[in-house]
Amino acid sequence: MPVETVLIQALVGVSSGMILFIVASGLSLIFGVLRVINFAHGSLYMLGAFIATSIGAWLANQSVGFFGALLIAPLVVAFIGALLEMGLFRRIYQREHLLQLLLTYGLTLIIADAVRIFWGGEILRLTLPELLSGTVKILDRRFAVYNLLLLVIGPAIAIGLGGLLRYTRWGRLIRAAVDNAEVLGALGIDTRQIYTAVFALGCWLAGLGGVLIAGRASVSLQMDSEIIVQCFAVVVIGGLGSFTGALIASILIGVVVSLGTLFPVTAGFAQALPFAVMALILVVRPWGLLGKAER
Amino acid sequence: MRKYILPLSAVILILLGVILSPFQAALASEMLIAGLFALSLNLIMGFGGMVHFGHAAFYGVGGYSYAILTTRAGLDPVLAFIVSPFIAAVFAVVIGWLCVRRTRLYFAILTLAFGQLLYILVFQARDLTGGDDGLQGLPIPPWLATEQARYWFTALVFLACYLLIRRIAASPFILTLKAVRDNPERAQFLGVNVRRQQLAVFVMGAAFAGVAGALFAILNRFVAVNMLFWTTSAEPILGSLMGGIGSLIGPVLGGGLLVFLEVNITRFTLYWPMILGTITVLFVLLAPEGLVGLVQKWRRK
Repeated sequence: MPVETVLIQALVGVSSGMILFIVASGLSLIFGVLRVINFAHGSLYMLGAFIATSIGAWLANQSVGFFGALLIAPLVVAFIGALLEMGLFRRIYQREHLLQLLLTYGLTLIIADAVRIFWGGEILRLTLPELLSGTVKILDRRFAVYNLLLLVIGPAIAIGLGGLLRYTRWGRLIRAAVDNAEVLGALGIDTRQIYTAVFALGCWLAGLGGVLIAGRASVSLQMDSEIIVQCFAVVVIGGLGSFTGALIASILIGVVVSLGTLFPVTAGFAQALPFAVMALILVVRPWGLLGKAER
Repeated sequence: MRKYILPLSAVILILLGVILSPFQAALASEMLIAGLFALSLNLIMGFGGMVHFGHAAFYGVGGYSYAILTTRAGLDPVLAFIVSPFIAAVFAVVIGWLCVRRTRLYFAILTLAFGQLLYILVFQARDLTGGDDGLQGLPIPPWLATEQARYWFTALVFLACYLLIRRIAASPFILTLKAVRDNPERAQFLGVNVRRQQLAVFVMGAAFAGVAGALFAILNRFVAVNMLFWTTSAEPILGSLMGGIGSLIGPVLGGGLLVFLEVNITRFTLYWPMILGTITVLFVLLAPEGLVGLVQKWRRK
């Protein structure tokens, strides 16, 4: 097999990894601040994708449709997330993990059924504008322009999130809430607002990932469990709560799956490969690549 | 009075087989299997305090072992039924060994991820497992031809497992495990090998889940790939939640009740997942101790 084919396939994998990173970083952010693992994160991603197809169809004009969806759908998901945080999640932060997981699991059932009822069981698509639907030549191979866009958006989100947390007042407040929410509250900051905002931001990332996947693959009802399990692999490999770790792990998973489909030996089991990587990491470095030992 | 409850329930359970219609007998068998499945999870989750979100994998391995051994290998059904839980246990040794390297939430995530790994493998290994078609028309022993016979068989196996699990729950092993659950550091300082204890109960629970899976295969004469899907893993957790985590009878009642509700509600509406999700959320918010907890609270008043 020529080296160029392998390299290009790896690059396709990196671009898939970008979507995975965006979704997983949302999960990781919410966990880092709220200490809750949200099973429904994958459902919000799916919701983002379905909303995107509707906005795309509604705006009809292809170029406006995609960008409109890219702008609006994540915001809608973030808004739904904020409502969920205020209505449900807020009540369970002090509860044990099992109850938290079960609550979010209950939500995945509800959201999945709501999506099925609202959109029907059909497989939907988001049409790309002409600008993004072509290909360019890299290393003498065709490479989708859309994947290039992903390769730009992924790092942009990573840098944006990092900058937000490190340099803005809001980011400082979030980090303070992670270190000691009580003291922060005593200083007159409403930590509940911070929690809602962080949760909404995490959901915005899930929604954004959903729109981005809708531009590349068909949108269907099984998306939620597929992505959430992959997100879990990301956080185990990268280390929960570490953005850099999530980025590395997402790229790793994207590349491994993408290359896995290339070789006949692994083609049937490409989807299982991330878990093989995960098992390996667990044996060598149980805390993940960049994770710290748990308390 | 209390000591008569168990033998009395056992007798009722067996006698029920006489009066139930074939449909009711099949439903009752399903409920017992769900109860056993929830009970097997409760060993790990209730006594070990380990949140296990991949238990369906071992339920599925139990069912598929029976199916593959009887169809592909032509093994005698009875022998296949006996062997199946052990195969589930072997899988659990490998997966459990990896999962107990992390604790609490991380453990939950790992069990879910590895459970999905087995799901994908079963889905893809079409030649062996039939892929998404599953395996149908499984051979069963001739003396299990009627629903009634299968009910009795299920009830007897269930009772045997229940008694065994009750014995295990009262053993020093489980007492040590509870110590680990309540304070892992302290248990470790006392010389308990925490990971080994957790792995042992993980494998034990998986074996009982394997029994439940093999029973399912015999009862329905088919196995399907969503036996291993993560939503199936959630069923015994929800059953345990509804019944009461950490008790013996709670998960059995909860698991059975869940099947009963599903069968009866899906007859009227297509929105079962929505209803189940809502029930789950309500239990978490309003009755986290489950029905057993509610009864205890009511009694204390």
